[in-house]
Amino acid sequence: MKTIPPPCHEPETGPKYWRGLDQVAETPEFRQWVEREFPAGAGEWTDPVSRRHFVRIMSASFLLAGLGATGCRRPVEKIYPFAKMPENYVHGVPQYFATAMPSRRGATALIVKSSDGRPTKIEGNPDLPDGNGGTDPLAQAAVLGLYDPDRAMRFALNGEARGRQAALDALTKLSETAGDGSGLAFLLEQSSSPSRARLQAAIAGKFPKARWHVYEAVDLDLGRQTASLAYKTPVEPYFKLDQARVILSVDCDFIGSEENAHGNIRRFAQGRALEGKEDSMSRLYAVESLFTLTGLNADHRLRLPPSLIVPALARLALKILAPSDMDGKLRDLSAAAQAHDSWIEPCAQDLKTNAGRSLVLAGYRLPPAAHLLAIAINEALGAVNHTVEYHTAPAAIDPDLAGLAAALKGGQVQTLVILGGNPAYNAPADLDWPQAQAKAKTVVRLGSHEDETAWNAALHADAQWDLPQAHFLESWGDARTADGTLAPIQPLIDPIFGGITELEVLALIGGLTPSTPYEIARETFRSIGGDSENAWRKYLHDGYLAGSAAPAASVRHDPSALAGALAQLKSAPSQGGLEIVFYRDAKMDDGRYNNNGWLQELPDPITKLTWDNAVLLSPATARRLNVDYRKRGAQNQKFFEHTVEVTLNNRSIKGPVWVQPGMADDTIGLALGYGRQRTGRVGRGAGFDACKLRTSDNLYYAAGAVLRDTGDTSYELATTQSHWSMEGRPVVREANLEQYRKDPAFAQKMKPEKPPVESPLYPNPLDTTKLNGLHQWGLSIDLNRCVGCSACMVACQSENNIPIVGKEMVGKSREMHWIRLDRYYAGPVEDPQAVTQPMLCQHCEAAPCESVCPVNATSHDDEGLNVMTYNRCVGTRYCSNNCPYKVRRFNFFDYNRRPLDHLYKSPLVTETDGQWELLRWLKNPDKGNLPEDQWQLSRLVKNPDVSVRMRGVMEKCSLCLQRIEQAKIAAKVKARDSGHIRLSEKENTVPKTACQQACPAEAIVFGDTSDAGSAVSKAKKQERTYTVLEFLLTKPRCTYLARVRNPNPLMPDYREHPMPRTTEEFNSGPFSSPESETEPSGKGAL
Amino acid sequence: MSDIFPKWTNRLPRNIIIGALLAGTAVTGAVSYYFTPKYTRVGYEPIQPVAFPHSAHVNQLGLDCRYCHNGVEKSWYSNIPATSVCMNCHNQVLKDDPRLALVRESAASGEPIPWVQIHKLPDYVYFNHSVHVNRGVSCVECHGQINRMDEVYHAKPLSMSFCLDCHRDPAARLRPLDKITDLDWKAADGDAQLAQGKAYVHDWNVQSLQTCSTCHR
Repeated sequence: MKTIPPPCHEPETGPKYWRGLDQVAETPEFRQWVEREFPAGAGEWTDPVSRRHFVRIMSASFLLAGLGATGCRRPVEKIYPFAKMPENYVHGVPQYFATAMPSRRGATALIVKSSDGRPTKIEGNPDLPDGNGGTDPLAQAAVLGLYDPDRAMRFALNGEARGRQAALDALTKLSETAGDGSGLAFLLEQSSSPSRARLQAAIAGKFPKARWHVYEAVDLDLGRQTASLAYKTPVEPYFKLDQARVILSVDCDFIGSEENAHGNIRRFAQGRALEGKEDSMSRLYAVESLFTLTGLNADHRLRLPPSLIVPALARLALKILAPSDMDGKLRDLSAAAQAHDSWIEPCAQDLKTNAGRSLVLAGYRLPPAAHLLAIAINEALGAVNHTVEYHTAPAAIDPDLAGLAAALKGGQVQTLVILGGNPAYNAPADLDWPQAQAKAKTVVRLGSHEDETAWNAALHADAQWDLPQAHFLESWGDARTADGTLAPIQPLIDPIFGGITELEVLALIGGLTPSTPYEIARETFRSIGGDSENAWRKYLHDGYLAGSAAPAASVRHDPSALAGALAQLKSAPSQGGLEIVFYRDAKMDDGRYNNNGWLQELPDPITKLTWDNAVLLSPATARRLNVDYRKRGAQNQKFFEHTVEVTLNNRSIKGPVWVQPGMADDTIGLALGYGRQRTGRVGRGAGFDACKLRTSDNLYYAAGAVLRDTGDTSYELATTQSHWSMEGRPVVREANLEQYRKDPAFAQKMKPEKPPVESPLYPNPLDTTKLNGLHQWGLSIDLNRCVGCSACMVACQSENNIPIVGKEMVGKSREMHWIRLDRYYAGPVEDPQAVTQPMLCQHCEAAPCESVCPVNATSHDDEGLNVMTYNRCVGTRYCSNNCPYKVRRFNFFDYNRRPLDHLYKSPLVTETDGQWELLRWLKNPDKGNLPEDQWQLSRLVKNPDVSVRMRGVMEKCSLCLQRIEQAKIAAKVKARDSGHIRLSEKENTVPKTACQQACPAEAIVFGDTSDAGSAVSKAKKQERTYTVLEFLLTKPRCTYLARVRNPNPLMPDYREHPMPRTTEEFNSGPFSSPESETEPSGKGAL
Repeated sequence: MSDIFPKWTNRLPRNIIIGALLAGTAVTGAVSYYFTPKYTRVGYEPIQPVAFPHSAHVNQLGLDCRYCHNGVEKSWYSNIPATSVCMNCHNQVLKDDPRLALVRESAASGEPIPWVQIHKLPDYVYFNHSVHVNRGVSCVECHGQINRMDEVYHAKPLSMSFCLDCHRDPAARLRPLDKITDLDWKAADGDAQLAQGKAYVHDWNVQSLQTCSTCHR
């Protein structure tokens, strides 16, 4: 019987937060949902198969199991040692190699763990001068991409495998017949590799008439292009966000989707860090159309439709720039944003007051004129060489995909070489790229997957070679990081599917020697780092070339470029219709990570959607268009979204609506990278393809779109958003900077509920056992540093062998992430503030989960960890039921052994690789019923130091117990007979948890709380420290540091407190502006 | 009516209870004896592809365990030596012996020798060799007197209770670090062992680790 908990009073202190729109609307479904301990389906047998039917089927299995038990002797296993031992190899001891993951304009320097020859975990390189070891989710997930069973694995001519040598011979032949290069065109991805630039120059010298083009679906290079224009010399900007006191982001999601986001986060978090009340912190203003991570972290946020963003920037420029002859044009431009003067005026004033310590950033979606305007403003603010530096950068190839498409259609290109990228999927729709590509006589395509750009039976060139591209973990190469530091790319494993690198293909086509990628990278290094073998080895060992960072160039601003660009700027798009924002997805990027399960299942940092993209609409727009979230389908306590059709210039797509609080009104947000036609087993069927609406002149913003409700409300989106509601308790605590200075311990006073008892009824056994522990582990998470990038979630998944569960299971709240990022909204639905909070096992000293476990599977060790012993667990799920933080995860199925689309199918009716599953199981019970290729590859990515959990087992965060134990063992091995076995931060022997290591913001601090000098002890002593749900007397070892915002009192949206405290206060406050309408639930706007 | 329940049925409930108790005891006894590694594993002695006599190599020739199992002090895993290690000596000694044919073949072809695994712990147990042999626990405690075996067999149960016996009372087994691979070494008597063991526990800061997280991750 369901027990309904007594109603929880709203807190007397602290703001009111909400998780999702259903909570605000107080829909009956949400109430019912909250009253349940778990969401519908999370713990129930909801399959149409009845229990009775299940027993009937299973009885047959039990019979067969009985037969199997007669042979319960342990199988004979063989040990195969090496015939010849490799040098420096010790079986079972992981090795670490430095390499780098190339990105569009830069690279992330990495240290990769190799467990017995297979890369298993990626970490950032902490030694890099411009880095702290933090990375982004994409880098963390790259190791899964290496073992993707759907990668391209054959050299094919016109779709038929031809073998490696035949393909390489064809490339050589191409090189011999290319003549002066006329009719030869190269289409490359952006790259920072000096080797590629060198090869390209050599080929261009050999084939002077060859055409060179670079294509990126989302071009993050605009900052470099415009800076080079503004300073009349090839330079690129490098932002020093830690130096800035006031930052204005103009549709620039520098925390989320811009280049080098993890580097930006590191510097931004440094500028926001507080240790005591004397410290100061930076202030962030954001102007944007979508709700992005940058907007989430902003102190003031102005939501504007795309057509008003440039006007708002122009208005700001008028207030900051010295008067000039451009003012007339700027005034024309800015007229549309006049209504927002009350916001722009004090923001401009703040930027001016902090001249020299302020910075304006323009995002990749903005036109070049806006970037030039931002550069001019930064010049006027004296930001150059203080908060932004310009580094000399090599001139890049002109993108101009449209020019290439025209040349193809005009028959000027006979041979097209496509290295990377997937233009057939994500090129602007008006170029009709697949048609254009088919016009070439010969196409050579290097791709990581056989995707849309690969040979297509219906439409193809006369001859198309498809070459499998090696993963960067299989390649030799080089790259430059954001500050220009040279970093090596070195392989950790031979190409698993025999792939080749871009450098090899270029060298073969150019007929250049040397043509092996190692020799190419080595040769390039000679010209940069000298001929010495020692220098080369040190470079490979360190993972970067010390001192190779680009120095700040001394630049002189030339305003004429701005004047020219402004003159060319088209006026604001015609009114009428909806505006569209196309954006780089936080997980899929432009579609290149589409087949990566970790990224598909990672909730989007803002929408918390998994496995899908959606048509994002603001609440008011959704209501106006009659696709409101209140009117969506609901059945069996689940929600089903409206499917709508978005039409733009006679092109249309269909997709589900997701109502996103904080979006600009009359604006549609569409994420790229989904709806792939030819992708792997993971990405198939995820989302819809927004690229079909993009055209060359509307790459990021479009106006005049029409949205039509198809009337279909049956599409289910799997979101983690509304899960785990915190029911109005002050789980997240925050204050404004002034309040914090007045009362630094504000967080500890926000206690809405008194404990039912003053102290626990029984003594805690840990109080005595912890006396035996050498260390006492604890964790402190600084909410002021956390920006919500989600790198920790993927790092944890990679380190701890956490399976993916698929969209259907996420829809039933069965996702397995041990650490999640809770995102709470506060304030009005139309324009809320938001906060993120990493939530993981709190390692309570008085853990409620332990007292209810009937088999002692979860218990405490004497160092204060709440540990989970999988082999004891019988799957009662009592612990999860009793956990107030809802951080325990249950394996409802054998996710590691079964294909996610077969979870519900009995082994009696399934087949594996054409064999009856039951027979297969009897022959080899150790193997899962995944297809053989998937099974073999899925095993390679597993961390050998962590048990892989099976069906029926509970799991949760262990604070990376394996790392702690390894560190302790290493200390003991070193100590031998000395007795010096305690880990200490002074000796650098305390391990880092995976989440802590991956965090670019350094928000997570793990360590020994019994060592008063440790970082975690110091963090816990800060006055902002608080405990979540402390009234339950669970005494968590994981504590949080309250968030502090730094709003400007002169701004119209300033409030004394970060968020309204009570409904009454909210209704009387400035948030209740006329635009924000009243919710129909009778509870005011909140 | 009396035909339906004859007189002997009066004793039936009592007999059933006694029978059930006896059967239960027998089953419990059988399971706790036969279903444990002590019965199922101890004595397991598979025939190896190459008849490698540990006794000859260790006791007669005086090879140290670590000459071949050289990863034992560095890794959780005590490695089986590569064929090249065998060939260090056997390309001179007994170089044409037919018993070593497979070894020579392996060295020539690069194909590994398929040794049969004897000691194996479940996947959810994270035993670490290096921390034991570096801190006073001898090979002999878990593997028995390998130095006296011609064909290696499973000498100790390696069950969880076997591990805990030592973890609860490390002083009874700790020995000087230079005697770790001396499998014949014994303290003078039980008291001497206990006295030195207690000293080691104190001086080396040896913990009696019994929490789940020590071995299960």
